[in-house]
Amino acid sequence: MSMIKENYLLSMLESELTDAVGRDYVSTNAADQLGHSIDYYWIPEMWHDRGRENPKPDFIVHPSSAEEVAKVMKIANNYKIPVTPWGGGSGSQGGALPMYGGIILDTKRMNKVLAIDTASLTVTVETGINTQHLEWAVEKVGFSTMHFPASIACATLGGFLAHRGTGVLSTKYGKIEDMVMSLEMVTPTGEIINTLPVPRHASGPDLTMLYLGSEGTLGVITKVTMKIHPVPEARKFHAFLFKNMHEAMVAGANIMRSRLRPCVIRLYDEPETARLIKRVLGIDKQGAYLVFGFDGPEKIVDLELEQACAICRRQEHEDLGTELGQAWWDHRYKFFYPPYMFHLPQAFGTLDTVATFDNIENVYWAMKNAVKDNFPEAAFIGHYSHWYEWGCMLYARFIVDTPPQDPQEATLYYNKIWNSAIRAAMREGGVINEHHGVGLKLGRLMKELYGPAFNVLGSIKKVLDPNNIMNPGKMGFER
Amino acid sequence: MNIENFQDTINACRFCFMCRHLSAVGNVTFRESDTPRGRALLTGKMQQNIKNLPPDYIDTFYRAELSAANRFHCVSHYDEAGLILAARRDIVEAGLAPENVKTLAAELQKANFKVEGSGSMLYYVDLYSDKANAPKDCKIISGGDTGKALEVLGFVKEAETVWTKFQTAVKASGCQTVVTSCPASYDMMKKRLDSVKVLHIAEFIEGKRGSGSVYYLDSDYLKNYNDNMTAPRDLLKKLGYELKPFGTNGEESYSAGEGAVIYDKLNPELTAKLCERIAELADNPAIDILVTASPYTRSVLNKYVPQLKVLLLDEVAAKGVK
Repeated sequence: MSMIKENYLLSMLESELTDAVGRDYVSTNAADQLGHSIDYYWIPEMWHDRGRENPKPDFIVHPSSAEEVAKVMKIANNYKIPVTPWGGGSGSQGGALPMYGGIILDTKRMNKVLAIDTASLTVTVETGINTQHLEWAVEKVGFSTMHFPASIACATLGGFLAHRGTGVLSTKYGKIEDMVMSLEMVTPTGEIINTLPVPRHASGPDLTMLYLGSEGTLGVITKVTMKIHPVPEARKFHAFLFKNMHEAMVAGANIMRSRLRPCVIRLYDEPETARLIKRVLGIDKQGAYLVFGFDGPEKIVDLELEQACAICRRQEHEDLGTELGQAWWDHRYKFFYPPYMFHLPQAFGTLDTVATFDNIENVYWAMKNAVKDNFPEAAFIGHYSHWYEWGCMLYARFIVDTPPQDPQEATLYYNKIWNSAIRAAMREGGVINEHHGVGLKLGRLMKELYGPAFNVLGSIKKVLDPNNIMNPGKMGFER
Repeated sequence: MNIENFQDTINACRFCFMCRHLSAVGNVTFRESDTPRGRALLTGKMQQNIKNLPPDYIDTFYRAELSAANRFHCVSHYDEAGLILAARRDIVEAGLAPENVKTLAAELQKANFKVEGSGSMLYYVDLYSDKANAPKDCKIISGGDTGKALEVLGFVKEAETVWTKFQTAVKASGCQTVVTSCPASYDMMKKRLDSVKVLHIAEFIEGKRGSGSVYYLDSDYLKNYNDNMTAPRDLLKKLGYELKPFGTNGEESYSAGEGAVIYDKLNPELTAKLCERIAELADNPAIDILVTASPYTRSVLNKYVPQLKVLLLDEVAAKGVK
């Protein structure tokens, strides 16, 4: 649905946007509109596959600075036009889709590395930068962001900040919210503000954390200062096979409870070990595959690795050694390339959630049973990707080989699977998402998750975005 | 339709973002359509209705720089470059080629090859090379593009006619080895010239010894189309130069549109942007010496970012870097 119908008004708007960001950076191009109508969410992909049209933006703008973003915001407020921020467009939750038309604010032109502080080990960077480009730039001067998500090559840094993304080394280096020092934001009404320069203080509530995860509903993050790290002397891996997921979970949780500091632990349930570990790594074994790694000074790495192996050996196990651990690291992104990734006509979704160690296996079984009992045609696989002192993240997936052909029917069917699985997770102490965000996909479940606390979020949204122009239709906020 | 031969690529790329960081044009236009994903989405629509293909879609296909860096990167090597070539062929066959493309194609069809000089080997002078730089003791063939440029524009029949003329001239020369400085022509000849040995100049020339450090810019056709990263580097090392890594990574295309053969003639503004990005990535543009194996790349970098010192591999071998 387009907000602007009249051609003359479209031309007026185009003139104003051109004034704001320059002629080359305002597009009404049909090819660009198509590209911005589909992200990595299954529904628009399926809709496109079935020959249907997805909602398209009226304009795509590419500002080069916070000042230009602010101008766009003021224009949008004046005309009360939706603004949907778009980074790499690789989000899986529909968070960047222009559901009500209007303006797509594509941040990719804001892609400069502004400063690398080698005393404090921080990098200040514009948020439209592709995260692989950022990592390469930081590596060039001998450091690393240590942010290695599967989407490193696809997504912008702003995308990770907007939905609280994470990378494979999160267990040691944290999720994106742990990596941030401070932010520059453009508010929905066009003011440019900065959060405090350091993340630890007692100078009032933490504004940085308010904006992280706001998914473009509270403004646009235009600049960030992030922590960086020395490239470690060594990074080593080791893999085990356990007879089942529970045994592997005990081992993984014991490593975390021991307060060793692995950079990564990943545990695949039996079905995913049989399906994906076999296909991608060629390990054809029954059981649950667990891999972990440590990095830092080599002597410490060796010691920690030895300790972690000793913990694993307390459970019934098969030691797969370092080679089959290293193989996982070497192929860590391969899982996400076609044809290894699930693809249409299959229906699939990543039901990622997080819970304490006390609850996490119950969450797994509740989700699995909800899918199995209600949708026996669906396969359910899962792995645990990101580990904390208190619990871990479950990256569960459902796959349906032949979903309904009719797109509307397929959408309803798809949403029903999500509702069943996520509600089951919530009943057992899980949340609706751990690192992919809420977006369009899960907005309807936000009130159930937060209860009365959602009113607080709603009130913040109303105050910061009085004309409700920012990313409408997302995160469960009222339209 | 030609694109139907690439159905697996359409299906794989249209919803895949995994190589977008290597989209040379996308990295300077910031447009979603200028990525393998964006273009694959367009081909999906093209399959549904080519007759009413929006002009914006057609422009997008002709903006592609065809570096094939994305295909090279992909773990499954889906042929995103081949898909664009097929889409261009379909556009031409449907009579939908834009006017500037048709004008350029007409110009390229005027190729008329001539062999001169003496020697046991034949050196092909491409559109961006100078006869004066031809190696000694070689016959010289010149007079236009081999048909490669027409092929990448989607004019396959016309390309075949020009290629036949070129092939006839090569055979008439009596030489059993053809050498070229142009990686695009090397690619064409290597795949299509039967019973004649084809060498890129990097695989052929000796040269005089030099010293110091240089940055080598990979050629799309040598690296991404022919998996040849070693010959130019080996030559430079053999000549005594220390090689420094250019930019921040070895995956991006730093050839400014070489994959599209005559990209500057079709998209001069985008060529300028591609060149500016290369200049931005140079460690020290004022003093760095960049070496390329592509006469096209040298030509456009000299034109659009004259502050960079860019030398052709042949020149380095013949004269050193001073």
